[in-house]
Amino acid sequence: MSEDVVFKGSRSGLQLIFDQTVDFTSILKQLKAKLESAIDFFGKGTIVNVAVDKITKEQEAELVILFQRYGLTLKAIDTSISKVNEFKFEEVDVEASKEITIIERTVRGGQEIISNGSVVILGNVNPGAKIIAGGNIDIKGTCRGLVHAGAFGDLTATIVADKMLAMQIRIADLIARAPDNLETVDTTECARIKDGIIVIETVNRQEVC
Amino acid sequence: MSEIIVVTSGKGGVGKTTTTANLGVGFAARGKKVVLIDTDTGLRNLDLLLGLENRIMYDLIDVTEGRVPYKKALVRHKRHESLYLLPTSQTKDKSAVNAQQINSLCSELAKDFDYVIIDCPAGIEQGFQTAISAADTAVVVTIPEISAVRDADKIIGELGRAEKDNIKLIVNRIRPDMVKKGDMLTMDDIDEILSIDCIGQIPDDELVVTSTNRGEPVITNPVSSAGKAYKNIVGRLCGENIPFMEIVPEGFFDKFKKIFKM
Repeated sequence: MSEDVVFKGSRSGLQLIFDQTVDFTSILKQLKAKLESAIDFFGKGTIVNVAVDKITKEQEAELVILFQRYGLTLKAIDTSISKVNEFKFEEVDVEASKEITIIERTVRGGQEIISNGSVVILGNVNPGAKIIAGGNIDIKGTCRGLVHAGAFGDLTATIVADKMLAMQIRIADLIARAPDNLETVDTTECARIKDGIIVIETVNRQEVC
Repeated sequence: MSEIIVVTSGKGGVGKTTTTANLGVGFAARGKKVVLIDTDTGLRNLDLLLGLENRIMYDLIDVTEGRVPYKKALVRHKRHESLYLLPTSQTKDKSAVNAQQINSLCSELAKDFDYVIIDCPAGIEQGFQTAISAADTAVVVTIPEISAVRDADKIIGELGRAEKDNIKLIVNRIRPDMVKKGDMLTMDDIDEILSIDCIGQIPDDELVVTSTNRGEPVITNPVSSAGKAYKNIVGRLCGENIPFMEIVPEGFFDKFKKIFKM
């Protein structure tokens, strides 16, 4: 019932998203209940963005007042493509991108692993799971989920998996989806960008590592 | 030592309640003292499967809100002396009970019973979180369909997040004819994705439906293959090492081929 209003975390901070087909007073009510129940979660002074083209001036004023009451700041922003990209290529912390996150379990549907650096998974990545890394991704198992390497624009990032059956492979801002009839290959494969497209090649683990 | 088991699945209609009822009767038939808790508030069914609907006086919400002691709300099964049901309310909704209340109720029940089995509602919302909070063991029920397996995967992830590490799998409603033709997910396919310990493979059996409608869990039916599978599951949960029965039978020609090594 209260799913008409959602707070979504993104690179640019928290974003308020609501169902525009629902009556605005009902939205306000749900929003209030949500803030009431999670007031400890939002730190004082947290900035919440809302897409400027989704609300009227009057609605914006009402939201600003409501948010102020809970110590939050509302900002109406333009979320068109150019802006999103701007956030995407914000300065990347060079030190952080050298970090390696090691996950020693199977990543299951609905779970998300996000890292500024590289990610190594000692287990499977199941359908519905998401791995997002600023650097490379290495899966010592079967990859059936969605993998995004070089998420901050690193075009040299690679994705290696013992068994590559990914739904979608994304490197930097390129996207490749699995063919509708996916064949299983029993060798380790590596995805990288070559001549502006994502290619998948068989590799030898020893050479990669 | 008593054990608190939650039966869950994520997807609806895969046989959580049927499994709960059968496990309960199975444990009781072994002389264990068992209580089944229905936490599917507002959509209660467990009482129907056990044929106990007409005996309900109080429910889970009456107990958690302190209106009656739990002993007053328990309904004893008509055949099995050591099997009790704690039904839930049909008029309230999932928000009427919280995890803390279930926790304290279960720790009280654990003193008196060998097994506390909790029937979890479908979904991953509040009702699910409440139902799993007290459990030592989680039994995840799925069927060989891609959507049910996906949901089971999600549920296993959620259980892991709630630090429930003892998770067992039951695959329900396997259709031997379809598996044989290669039209259905096989146990290997399911195992590859879920990779958790499987304690039961239950064939699709019409007797489950008829016994459900009669309020007599199928485990009491000696000719039913699903009943036998449930009996084996109860044995495995008791720590016995029981081999899996053959669900896809070898056909006449397979045997023939084997003899002549074709």
